[in-house]
Amino acid sequence: MIAIQVLLIGGIVTVLGWFVMNPRSQQVHAWIKILAAVFTSFGVVVIISPNTSNRVAHAVGVGRGADLLLYSLAVAFVYVMFSLYIRGKEEHAKFEILARTVALLEERLRELSDVLAERREESK
Amino acid sequence: MQQDVYVIMPVFNEAPVIRSVVSAVSQVFPNIICVNDGSTDASAAEIEKTDAVLINHPFNLGQGAALKTGIDYALRDANAAYFITFDSDGQHQVADAVSMLAVAREGDYDIVLGSRFLGKAENIPSVRAAVLKAAVVFSNLTTGVRLTDAHNGLRVFNRRFAERIEITMPGMAHATEFIHWIAKSEFKYTEVPVTVVYTQYSQAKPQSVFNSINIGFDLLMRRISKR
Repeated sequence: MIAIQVLLIGGIVTVLGWFVMNPRSQQVHAWIKILAAVFTSFGVVVIISPNTSNRVAHAVGVGRGADLLLYSLAVAFVYVMFSLYIRGKEEHAKFEILARTVALLEERLRELSDVLAERREESK
Repeated sequence: MQQDVYVIMPVFNEAPVIRSVVSAVSQVFPNIICVNDGSTDASAAEIEKTDAVLINHPFNLGQGAALKTGIDYALRDANAAYFITFDSDGQHQVADAVSMLAVAREGDYDIVLGSRFLGKAENIPSVRAAVLKAAVVFSNLTTGVRLTDAHNGLRVFNRRFAERIEITMPGMAHATEFIHWIAKSEFKYTEVPVTVVYTQYSQAKPQSVFNSINIGFDLLMRRISKR
């Protein structure tokens, strides 16, 4: 095994381990975990025998393994961008409900304190 | 007089003019709600000096969200029958709101929209006029509701409409949402000519042409992501 292979595999294992250990990963959908597992094992295979990617590429009609990787990365990138965009919008919508509730409550509170102040004045 | 009417004003950084706008409106309408949408200037302090109800968004949420907050607040009053949305930068005329309200009451309309292209758009920059007209064409094509002005902030609507409308676009795209709701729910609507005055003050505000591209993008993404 050459140095770059050790480095890459070490990196992948670290990221995977970090992902599995992280308590928040329990909220992630099961199929995303399976997908991650498939991708990482494919990654390890490609690192150990780089020719695999070439063979897969030929099988689907792409000239080189490196090209296939680039194409799939491009698709994955667009998917991630879009899902992050949607996620952001969803989070913002929740945020908005919260902020509006706070705003209305604050107004209520001011109203209430005005009434209380008036009463205090009267009882003096 | 006009006790059953609530004027809802979204406010974002309008400190220099907000007080005079509120006092002009309060000559006719006693119930005014200013939704301060996270202004970074003295808008909130200026509103506190008036008789208007002040609701503070903790940070900027966009004009659509501000309108929604204001409508929600007004709906808590069971006697509220009519709702007016009124821009806080002074470009709308109180007299126009009054005549629109009269039209709504007499004709039993669910919603009355102000149109600056039926009426007057004073000192309107030509680029803005072109963009707004393009927006009208786009809106008429996509919603099937025939209007002459699609993005006017001056509207009068009744309780039935206020209870039904769901403003989901926090930003400026809510104007199109109003029209979608008119189309979807077969509300009785009409347009009334109004005058929109483009003062030096309002033109200095950065509501740029790029914003309409943002609005279009927001609406497009909403259609794509809707489940």
